[in-house]
Amino acid sequence: MATLPTPQQLIASRPAFPKENWMDIKPDFKPGSFCYPAQKQTMELLHMPNPHEWNPADEDWNLPENWEQILIDAFEERLKKHRSLKLFMDICVRCGACADKCHFFLGTNDPKNMPVMRAELLRSLYRKDHTMLGKILGKKVGARGWDKDVVKELFSYAYQCTECRRCSLYCPYGIDTAEITAIVRELLHEVGLGIHWIMDPVKNCNITGNHLGIKPHSFVEIVEMLADDCEEVCGIRPKTPFNEKGHEILFITPSGDVFADPGVYTFMGYLMLFHELGLDYTLSTYASEGGNFGSFTTFNMAKKLNAKMYAEAERLGSKWILGGECGHMWRVINQYMDTYNGPAPAHMMDVPTSPITGTQFTNAKSTKMVHITEFTADLIKHNKLKLDPSRNDHLITTFHDSCNPARGMGLLDEPRAVLKAVCNNFVEMPEKTIREHTFCCGAGSGLNTEEIMELRMRSGMPRGNALRYVQQKYGVNHMACVCAIDRATLPPLANYWAPGVSVSGVHELVANALVMTGEKKRTMDLRQEDLPNVDGGDE
Amino acid sequence: MTMLEVFREHKQNVCAAWVELVLSTYSLDTKGFLRTKNDPFLNPVGDITRLCAGCLYDAMAGEDIDAAKLKDALERLVKLRAVQVFTASEALGIFYAFKSVVRSTLLPLMEKSGLTAAYLEAESRIDTLALMAFDMYAKDREVVLENRVNEIKNQHAQLLRWAQTVDGSPVGGSGKTKL
Ligand code: SF4
Ligand code: SF4
Repeated sequence: MATLPTPQQLIASRPAFPKENWMDIKPDFKPGSFCYPAQKQTMELLHMPNPHEWNPADEDWNLPENWEQILIDAFEERLKKHRSLKLFMDICVRCGACADKCHFFLGTNDPKNMPVMRAELLRSLYRKDHTMLGKILGKKVGARGWDKDVVKELFSYAYQCTECRRCSLYCPYGIDTAEITAIVRELLHEVGLGIHWIMDPVKNCNITGNHLGIKPHSFVEIVEMLADDCEEVCGIRPKTPFNEKGHEILFITPSGDVFADPGVYTFMGYLMLFHELGLDYTLSTYASEGGNFGSFTTFNMAKKLNAKMYAEAERLGSKWILGGECGHMWRVINQYMDTYNGPAPAHMMDVPTSPITGTQFTNAKSTKMVHITEFTADLIKHNKLKLDPSRNDHLITTFHDSCNPARGMGLLDEPRAVLKAVCNNFVEMPEKTIREHTFCCGAGSGLNTEEIMELRMRSGMPRGNALRYVQQKYGVNHMACVCAIDRATLPPLANYWAPGVSVSGVHELVANALVMTGEKKRTMDLRQEDLPNVDGGDE
Repeated sequence: MTMLEVFREHKQNVCAAWVELVLSTYSLDTKGFLRTKNDPFLNPVGDITRLCAGCLYDAMAGEDIDAAKLKDALERLVKLRAVQVFTASEALGIFYAFKSVVRSTLLPLMEKSGLTAAYLEAESRIDTLALMAFDMYAKDREVVLENRVNEIKNQHAQLLRWAQTVDGSPVGGSGKTKL
């Protein structure tokens, strides 16, 4: 009889990670662990370099003939262009402070998901071509040249990084691995490698203005349906001004909130709030996507997609821009917009100012864009909203700091101030997992695609673990966030790690609590579910 | 010594050996971190594994253990392994390996004390625990798939509602816009 392996032998079948030469471990492309490739046609339409058919699961990725030279040149060009990249390549002392800070590492326990190693994948190539020691000693000093497996490895790990920047918070030198990932993705694009879930929205945003490519007239109709739903809930149909010239404010938010559950309820929240305030604003079908999918691909694409914000403000004559709850939209606005497309059009207000309270948002002086939770927190502080937080009493809510607003722009207190004003039951998750230390939803930066659900569940584990803790300890049954991608990625994460916790944007809860002038008696929340704490509700 | 006394005496070393075994299913480079860092939020894998070890052991030994606590500890570890690039046998084989560890450490001692029959009963409880883990694993994998389906639906939920109002739509229509 053949000898069967013991349980120990069975479970230990994973190959050990060699201490010395990590370079010898080849990446593995199992279904569920990689994103579908971008379509050739999409890449052609966008004039991306070297569009071609390929599949990560195949041995041959059909790279262009001179792929190696393309990559060497492209890397050199980036090193010249971005001083920060060269610094990041040179100054890491491998202290390891970042090593265990990445949610991908914590969830997968794959050493190459330690930020220091993720960067090392590129740094090893840098050493070979750009340092004397590397040129001479090669592998001995951790230098290596390009080969096709290296390209595959870069692809694998650049798309196992959500560019969340948690690691950079702990690096004594401020090395930002997210920026390194961004560069690696750019390099891969030079040889025609991109992923479908990013490039398809990029194409759609590029052509029609929103990530699903819905035509302007249909986009308006969809928003009008949401206004109808608002009326159903509160008896008032909010205005839906589109493409109107001469309003003070242009409102831009991610289009995910127009199309996707549960984001639509956040959008309804905006409509109701603006209506109640009588805000002088317009929406736009041209700038109908706040999210910048370009920022997951290349700097140039991010710049291009960002440009329409100012272009539309100029066309419509808006004085300043109010921005909705989004993640990477704010990273781009806060960190890059000025250099990409600034200065803002000359006709815009010097300092965006709330027409309701007169507060000047000096932090937005250069970009002219104010975050909606800053705007609403200011309204609440000045007592400008009538609120009945007891309508949210059936919720014990916590708050997930989305990486980009938290670490990319320091938006930590405003959403909390708003939440506490509209909900009586608010509980924080453990200290080391919130605010600037927040754990990513595990699927940002274009990784919220369903084919890698399994990978997302492991990268989302640290967040899910903290959520489960407050669920069990304090009975938390809701998690609010200020990011449209989170509103898509957190429901499956919660469903897996802390089933029973629902997810919403902050302004959904605001509108639930908002007492509007002339409204009918509220018996339903924005999801048209009975409000249990109201007479005539379920209880 | 009673059986429980023998079990209690060896809890720490058996659990430690098993935790070591589970952690060795991860890459060598990360094992040090998993073993040394003790924080439920900053090293969840280490924490979940250690916690489960204690609960498993007590349940196996026949201690009076809170069923909900046991289920929770087991569930967390299974959930983790269900999405960590393991085959089903790699993910759940750890419970059979638990049996091997227990047997090699405790069976000789139990035999010496004439407690073999009682020991075998305890060992059978590991089988029960492994079966519970099987159910959990199957459910977890289903949730992953369910998440995929739900996500596709949710992504276009409002679009679908709108499409239903459009004239000529395959999902009905009230004659508003022509597509
Ligand atoms: S913390 Fe900074 S210096 Fe230390 S290993 Fe990480 S990237 Fe390098
Ligand atoms: S940016 Fe975030 S995902 Fe990327 S390596 Fe750092 S911690 Fe990990």
